[in-house]
Amino acid sequence: MAPVLEVTDLSKVYGDVTAVDHVSLSVEEGALFGLLGPNGSGKTTMIKILTGQIRPTGGSATVLGLNVEREGLRVRERVGIIPEQESPPSFLSAMEYLEFVGAVRKIPDIPERAERWFDLLEFGDKKHVLCKDLSRGTRQKLMFAQAFIHEPVLALIDEPLINFDPIMQDVVKDYLADYVRSGRTIFLSTHILEVAEELCSSFAILHRGRLLHSGPIADLAEKGLHLPEFFLSLVRKG
Amino acid sequence: MPELFLRMMKEEWRIHSTMFGQVSFALFPVMIFGIAFMGSFLLPLLRSAIPSSDLALMTHALFLMLGFMVGGFGLLGNEMMNRRFGQASLLTYSARSLPLSEHFIFLNFVAKDTVYYFFLWVFPFGAGYIAASPFTGTPLFQALLLLLTLVLSFMSGLCVVFLLSALYIRSKRACWLSVLALGAGWGGLAILTGTNPALLFPPFLLYSAFSWSTLFGLCTILAVMFAISIVLFSPETAGTTKHYPNTLAPLIRRVAFLPNPPLVAKDLIDLYRSGIGIGQTLFSFLIPLVVIWFFLSLVGSYLPPHGLLFMFAMITGVIASTMYTWVTEFDAFGSYACLPVAVSTLIRSKIATFSLLQVIPAVFIGLVATLTGERAYILPAVVLCVSISFYAGSVMAWLCGLSPSVLVYDVKVLFTYLILDGVVFAIFSAVAFANPFYALSSVVLFIPGWWCVKAAMKRWDAVDPAGF
Ligand SMILES: Nc1ncnc2c1ncn2[C@@H]1O[C@H](COP(=O)(O)OP(=O)(O)OP(=O)(O)O)[C@@H](O)[C@H]1O
Ligand SMILES: [Mg+2]
Repeated sequence: MAPVLEVTDLSKVYGDVTAVDHVSLSVEEGALFGLLGPNGSGKTTMIKILTGQIRPTGGSATVLGLNVEREGLRVRERVGIIPEQESPPSFLSAMEYLEFVGAVRKIPDIPERAERWFDLLEFGDKKHVLCKDLSRGTRQKLMFAQAFIHEPVLALIDEPLINFDPIMQDVVKDYLADYVRSGRTIFLSTHILEVAEELCSSFAILHRGRLLHSGPIADLAEKGLHLPEFFLSLVRKG
Repeated sequence: MPELFLRMMKEEWRIHSTMFGQVSFALFPVMIFGIAFMGSFLLPLLRSAIPSSDLALMTHALFLMLGFMVGGFGLLGNEMMNRRFGQASLLTYSARSLPLSEHFIFLNFVAKDTVYYFFLWVFPFGAGYIAASPFTGTPLFQALLLLLTLVLSFMSGLCVVFLLSALYIRSKRACWLSVLALGAGWGGLAILTGTNPALLFPPFLLYSAFSWSTLFGLCTILAVMFAISIVLFSPETAGTTKHYPNTLAPLIRRVAFLPNPPLVAKDLIDLYRSGIGIGQTLFSFLIPLVVIWFFLSLVGSYLPPHGLLFMFAMITGVIASTMYTWVTEFDAFGSYACLPVAVSTLIRSKIATFSLLQVIPAVFIGLVATLTGERAYILPAVVLCVSISFYAGSVMAWLCGLSPSVLVYDVKVLFTYLILDGVVFAIFSAVAFANPFYALSSVVLFIPGWWCVKAAMKRWDAVDPAGF
């Protein structure tokens, strides 16, 4: 299978902080890829670069065959993104926000699609409430819906589960598992190692911007290892 | 109090200085100082054309207006605290998690902004004048007094608008009534005494005839207004579950003739629902302009026939150009980051929204021309006003991209802005004074304006979005 995402020697330097340090990796089509790493290891920065929101200072990356630096806009047209900080525009209602996204992305039949998301994530009672008045978890639901409403072939999602209650986490995990089963790809950044182990087909570990490990999750099982212990031992070694 | 206050000051400094370097930002007050210093040497020249008392009055008006423009705290309070540079990154926001009352935090916020503006604008200006006084032969007492009364002018503008905007949040009707009462009192005074009430502006009275009792009285009034505003300020009650009808889709269809209808429709909804649209129109546009009219009418006699109307149209244009900051201030790039929207697209849509808002100055100048019995000149006056506004707004977009309210403090940026606007202002005052209908030629400003928008789109696409 062809890689949908290919990163070569990628770096991002902010002043004297190296947020991403010469990272190379690739993600196959149909994978549920987990990007793991301690706080400040560069996960969010990676996602921002891969979606053309910021420019790398070195190296290159292609997503769906597009160069992220030169064709960032095309990348964002084709993928779905959940940003780290859920910040839908505050004076639109939830329904209006999805319509806004639909209008920007030129999605037909947006009201029907929106209804399906209100049902799936169980927040239909909030659809006419302004985003600024939504609870954190509800805002996260909205951002989740926004990322998948156009059924992109690839979604890059930054900590999508963090504000969800356990029931909603199950709903979302099932959704993600189904999503990749239909041949589409997910690039997931998360701190919840149990979820990563359960869902992901392959993963990578970043630490202080450097890539410590990348490979299929099945390799761990073969060695009789579990992701949480593997992660901790690797990161503690530095 | 001092602890939180100092930290907020430090934060404000960092917000500005990280965007364009500490040196550039530190130079800002130096530049204002320089302008005032040099300007003082022009005074003898100006005095031959305009009596110095009228000049002093104009300067007071300028600082009153600066106060007006800074003073919409009550209105902007919650929004600023929540959104200005992205949530939670601001002390004002995170201080809410500390055991401090909302009013206390807000008081600090207001104090910080006041002091900040004071040192950026007001103080350097007065200091420049004082520094020049030995050379220009102005008595030092006079120069010091001017600094004091300019500060009081600034504070008056600040307190009036702060009070009104705090009232506005509590009760719109009460606010409108107060504005009407103020206007009626002001107008009544003009009719009854037959003098321009601008001459009765307390800081100016103090400047023309200093007395301790006037000073004390004025300070008391300002302090009382300030205290009432702080008390009136109401922190947002969390958890409102008001339901809103779906207005986005119909609005998108209505603005379909513009580029990027969804973005424009969203901006319009933001402006309307946040109260910023109406509030800013009142506090940052109408009130300052009405007051300026009174001050400006004093110099009317030095201008050619209809000169006053056209001078005012140009000033209105410059003030209307700041509407570009209304449309850019309240959403961070972050809310678009997950969508296929480039910075250039955003700039273009902001300019589109900005252009729609130009209906406000156009109608305003039309009304003014009607009221002054100069209906024959409505068309050239409106054209001049809107052209200047579009031009100045576009220059701002080119120089500052999506963060005009921050980048304006970059000395290079402000200097370029002042030069580019000043030249145009000078040219078109000459043109309009020569013959009112020549002012129609200002439509040519749409060409450099459009060029600036194009350049802005190219320039700001090439860098990572600020603060992101
Ligand atoms: N705009 C910025 N300016 C300067 N430094 C930044 C900026 N954004 C991120 N950094 C730095 O880059 C490093 C990586 O940050 P990043 O947000 O990518 O980490 P992360 O892995 O997503 O962390 P977390 O798990 O806490 O979300 C950090 O050291 C951070 O301080
Ligand atoms: Mg992160």
